[in-house]
This record gives sequence, C-alpha cells and structure tokens, in this order.
Amino acid sequence: MTEKTANKKGWVKKALIALLSIFLLGVVSFWYILNENFKDTALTESTFTVNAQELINAFQTNDSLANATYQEQLITVHGRITETEAADTTVNIKFVDPITDSYLIFAFQAQHISDAKILEAGDSVAIKGSCSGNIYSQLRKANMISFKRAVLVEKFRNFKQ
Amino acid sequence: MKKTVLVLSLIVFTNVLFAQTKKTTSATVAFDATTALDALPKAENKTVIAEIDTQTGQIGFEAAVKNFTFPKPTIQEHFNEERWLNSNKYPAFTFMGKISEVTKYNFSNNGIYNVTVTGQLTIKDKTNNITTSATIEVKNGTLVAAATFTIVLADYGVQVGNSGKIAGEPKITVSAELK
Repeated sequence: MTEKTANKKGWVKKALIALLSIFLLGVVSFWYILNENFKDTALTESTFTVNAQELINAFQTNDSLANATYQEQLITVHGRITETEAADTTVNIKFVDPITDSYLIFAFQAQHISDAKILEAGDSVAIKGSCSGNIYSQLRKANMISFKRAVLVEKFRNFKQ
Repeated sequence: MKKTVLVLSLIVFTNVLFAQTKKTTSATVAFDATTALDALPKAENKTVIAEIDTQTGQIGFEAAVKNFTFPKPTIQEHFNEERWLNSNKYPAFTFMGKISEVTKYNFSNNGIYNVTVTGQLTIKDKTNNITTSATIEVKNGTLVAAATFTIVLADYGVQVGNSGKIAGEPKITVSAELK
C-alpha cells in the first residue's frame, strides 16, 4: 500500500466518524426536545411570593425594573380575586387595581384547569405561575401583567362580614 | 314611583347588555407553524385583550408575545429569542381593524353573522394589512367571535430557513367571548 492510499483511507475514516457524530448529535437533540416537558408548576418552588396589589404597583412604578426582576420567574401571588373570565374552554383569574384598571391575569396549566373553574370573584387565594411580564394596553389604557402555567396553591377561608 | 324605578332599571340593564363596546381580556390566539416534518411549533395565548365596537365596527386585539405557551420549553425559548419574535424588544402583537360594511349587521339581535374584517397586524414593529372572514355569534348581548387566517412570517422580518420544519405561513386562529 502506498503512502498516498493510506492517507486517503485515513481521511475517509475521519470524515465518516465526523458525519456519524453529527448524525448522533442530531438524533440526541431531537430526542431531547421531543421528550422534554414543562415541569408541573405545583411541584416547583416559586422564586418570589408577593401580594397582588404590590406586584401591580411594582410594574406601574418601574416597568423596566419589574420586568427584569419578575419576568420568566415562578411567582406565588396572594390576593382577593377581582374577576374570573371565560377563556375558550378554561377560566382565567384576575386581580385588578381598582384605581388604574391595571391587572394580573393567570392562565392555568392544563392539568390544573379544574381548580380555576371552582374559583369566584371575592375568593382569597394564593396562585403560582410563570410571569410573562408587562405590556401597556393601548385599548384599555392600563398595564397587563400576564402569567402562564398557573396553579392554585391555596384557597383561604372567606369570612363573611 | 315603582314604575319609574322599574323603567330606569330596565334602561340600565339594556345599556349594560347591549353596550356598544364589547370587551374581554381572555381571548385566545393560537399559532400553528407545524409541517409534515415537525409537529412541535404551535402555541396558544389565552390572555389576549380584545374589543369590538358594534356600532362603528372597530376591532382591536393585543397579545403579550411571552404569554404564548408551547408544549416544549426549547421551542418556546426559540420563539422568543432575538432572531425570531425578539419578545424582549417587541413584547406585543397588535391587530387594529374594522368590520366591513358594519351597518349591514344588527348585533343587538341574537344570531350568527358572517363578516369580513380588514385591518393591520403589527409584529416586531412591522405592520401588514390583513383581510379575513370571521363569524360573530350574538347570544343575549355576548359576542362570540372566531376567525382563522394565515400570515407570511417573512413579512414581519422572521426568516424560517429551508429546513422544512417550520411553516413560513403559519395558521392563526382567534376566538373570543366578548361582553
């Protein structure tokens, strides 16, 4: 075997190994994406625990700072529900600032939608969800702070006055 | 006196029921960019703001880009990153439009109305005209609106590449119950 032929075979071998590695990497990545899922929010620790009105105030006072602090974080929010609103086949839960009409809105995680459906305006609750941050609505002239994959942490007893 | 109270109550009730502007903060917008090669790029947002003025026909939608939920975390991350929707810089989608020939319809009456909506959709600070058919069902003062249309992502500065895994013209489905 000449030196030239041996070199050629060596290059072919290296190229085949490289191609195989790329292929395997692709398969592993695809497999990973296909099988990954969002964790159940109920089983995940929240980064912050805050009062609903205080959270609205934080976004109204300094939108940039609040977005930097809370966006894409799991937050447990305590407060009294202002409104429940039908959303397709589910229900969203809202806490509204009565002065500015700015609000927090929680869309529930699929496996916890039944919990949202039993809630009513006036209920005192703790709800945990992934904060998507704030947008200022030109239609409503108010801030909307939205949450996804929310779960009910606790429904507190309401004392009738 | 009783009659006056009754009449006043009826007027207030009727005004609330048939108020000119119908609203919700829980409209749903679904985004489907799946292809035969990839069934993953699809999402929905159930916290979309929507308003319809039944007298003028003005329609408005506003959605937070970051509140679109995908079934897979990696796909959701890609959707929000700079080369895609760049949601840190452009946090909202908006649609502002109008029902064509709105005087033809009487949304005070229960029924199903097939309408045409024209307007402007803004994504990533790029605005394009959209015309779509929609249905509006009126049930005792509540409007249930639905529409499906496609958009061209390249028109909004989003390049999907040639992999065939993401549809360049995804289907958008809108549904809203407005009160």
